[in-house]
Amino acid sequence: MCQKHSEISQNPSHFEGTAEEHELSKTVQANYMDYIKDMKFFDPHIHMTSRTTDDYTSLIDAGVVAIIEPAFWLGQPRTGLASFKDYFSSLVGWERFRSSQFGIKHYCTIGLNSREANNEALAEQVMEILPLFLYKEGVVGVGEIGFDDQTAAEEKYYRLQLELSKDAGLPVQVHTPHRDKKKGTELSMSIALEHGIDPSMVIIDHNNEETVESVLDQGFWAAFTIYPFTKMGNERMVELVKKYGSERIMINSAADWGISDPLAVPKTAALMKIKGISDEDIRLVTYQNAIDAFAQSGQINVADFESPLVIDQSLKFNGNTVLRGGQIPRVDKNSIFIS
Amino acid sequence: MSFSIQLFEKIKQYASPKEISWIEAKINGNLQTLQTAFVATPRFISKNPIQSTDIINDVCINEWPLDRLVRLYLLTLLNSTDKEAYTKTIDTLFETAENNEAVALISSLPFLVFPDYWMLRATDAVRSNNGLIFDAIAFQNPYPKQHFSELAWNQLVLKCIFNDKSIHRIQGLNERANQELANSISYLAHERWAAGRTIPAQAWRLVSRFMNDMILSDICTLFLSQNSNDNIAAALVCNETDFLAAKEELKKYFELYQSVQNEQITWQTLEA
Repeated sequence: MCQKHSEISQNPSHFEGTAEEHELSKTVQANYMDYIKDMKFFDPHIHMTSRTTDDYTSLIDAGVVAIIEPAFWLGQPRTGLASFKDYFSSLVGWERFRSSQFGIKHYCTIGLNSREANNEALAEQVMEILPLFLYKEGVVGVGEIGFDDQTAAEEKYYRLQLELSKDAGLPVQVHTPHRDKKKGTELSMSIALEHGIDPSMVIIDHNNEETVESVLDQGFWAAFTIYPFTKMGNERMVELVKKYGSERIMINSAADWGISDPLAVPKTAALMKIKGISDEDIRLVTYQNAIDAFAQSGQINVADFESPLVIDQSLKFNGNTVLRGGQIPRVDKNSIFIS
Repeated sequence: MSFSIQLFEKIKQYASPKEISWIEAKINGNLQTLQTAFVATPRFISKNPIQSTDIINDVCINEWPLDRLVRLYLLTLLNSTDKEAYTKTIDTLFETAENNEAVALISSLPFLVFPDYWMLRATDAVRSNNGLIFDAIAFQNPYPKQHFSELAWNQLVLKCIFNDKSIHRIQGLNERANQELANSISYLAHERWAAGRTIPAQAWRLVSRFMNDMILSDICTLFLSQNSNDNIAAALVCNETDFLAAKEELKKYFELYQSVQNEQITWQTLEA
C-alpha cells in the first residue's frame, strides 16, 4: 500500500480510518499481493483491446482468472459499419485467443455504445448486425449501452437494444453517464422496467455514493468502477461495502486507453482485506456476484476458469514460442538483455 | 459432392435424442435458417469429442468436438444452385466468426462447393496469428494439399517450422516437397544458427530429394550438433538422398549409419 504514515498526517482527509486502521496502515507490507494470496478474481468490465500483453501477465499473476470485455467506442468515432463488424469480431476472435494465451478466460458483451448511437445513419446499420453477434458463444450480455449525453438518439437505441436483450435472454450491462449521473441512472432504470425487464437481468455500472441506494433498492445489480480521478477510488469503495454489504454489488476496473488500472479489482480486494472486510464479502464483490449476474446468459461455465486454464502449447502466436513448457514466459524487466 | 448422409450417420452415433431432434428441425431450412443454426449450434449441441478413425472426404474427424461436426453437416446442407447466394451466406459466417466458428469453417473447406472461391479464406488462415485458426488449415485438412500453389504451400510449411509446430501433421507433406521449400529451410536454419537458435530436426525430412552443395554443408553441420535429434535427422537425410557425397558423409558416422540401416531410427523418432 502506498500510503505512508507521514503523508497521512500531512493530509489526514485522505485517510479517515479508525485508529486501528491507522495502526495497520503503518505496518502493511509493501506488496499488497500478500493480502490476496489464493484469492481469485473476475473483472466484469475491462477493455483489453486497448491494453498490452504485460497487463495480461499482471492480471493472471494477481489472480484474475476471467474477464468480461464490453463493446465500447475506440476513443474516436467509427466512420463505417465495417469497423464495427471487425471490432465485434475481434472481441470474439483475436482478443479471446490472446487472453487464452495467458490463461485468462475472456467473455464479452456486445452492443452499440451510447456515444456512437448519436450517429443515427450508422447506428441503424449496426442494429442490423448486432443479432449476428449476440448469439455467439461466450457473449454474456448486451453492453455497454445506455446514456452518455442523454440525447433522444441515445434513448432510442438503448430501448431497441433492451428489446434485443429480451429476445436473446441476455443480461444488460448499462453504462451510466459522467455528467448528470444521478438523473441518467434513474432514467436508465425506469426505461428498463418500462420494457418489462427483470432488474435481476440488469447490471447498472459506474455507480457512486449518490446512485447506489436507488439501484439496490429497485433490485438491480450495482457495479462500481475503480478508476482514478473520474470514477470510484478504492478507499471510498471499502466504505461502501461496509455500509451496503456485498449483496448484488460488484467491482470492476473498466481499464481502457485512459489512465486506468487493470489491477483495480485485486488491489481493492487487498484494501478490503486490510480494512477488515470479511473474506466472504470480498469474494462476493470481486468474483461471485459478477459470475451470478452474467451467468444468466447461459454462456459462463465456471469449470473453464475455476481450475487453472490449460494453456495449449501448440497455440503459439506471432512466431513467438510464447508458452514454452506450458508456462507464460517471464521477461526480466530489469534486464538490459533481450534474447 | 455431398457427404451429408455420411456425416449425419456419424453424428447420430454421438448425439442425444434431444440433439438429433434439434438438428432434424433445421435440416430442411433455407440458407438463412441454416446460417443461424450454424451460429447457434453450441447452444444446443455438446462439445463431446468424436472418437473415430473414420476418414470422410479425406478428412480425419478424430477428436473433433461434436458441435464442430454438426456445423460441418449444416454447411453441407446449404443449397449451392445459386452460387452468389451460397457464397454470400458462407462469407458472412467467415466475416463474423467467433473462434470456434472460424475453426469449424476452415476445417470444412474441403467440403464446400466451388473450392477455388475459398482460396483467400484458406491463405488468410495461414496468415493468422490465431493458433486455433492456423492449426485448422494446417492439420487434418486436405485443402492445402489439393489447392494451394507452391508459394502458398511453402508459406504454410515454413510458418509451421518457424512456430515449432509439428509438420508431420500436415497432409501431403512429402508429396508436395519441392526445391524452393528445401532451399528456404536451409536459409531459415542459417538465420537461426547465426542467432544462436535452432530449427526443429524433423524439418530436414523435406530436403532429401532436393540435396545440393549448400544443403549438404548444412547436413555436415547437423552431424556435428550437440543435439542428438540433429544427428538423427542428418543420418536420415543422407540415407534417403541420391546425392552421392551425402551418402559418403553418413559412412563417417558408423553408429548412426547402422541405426538407419536397421530402421532403429526413422522420421517418426523425431515427430514430437
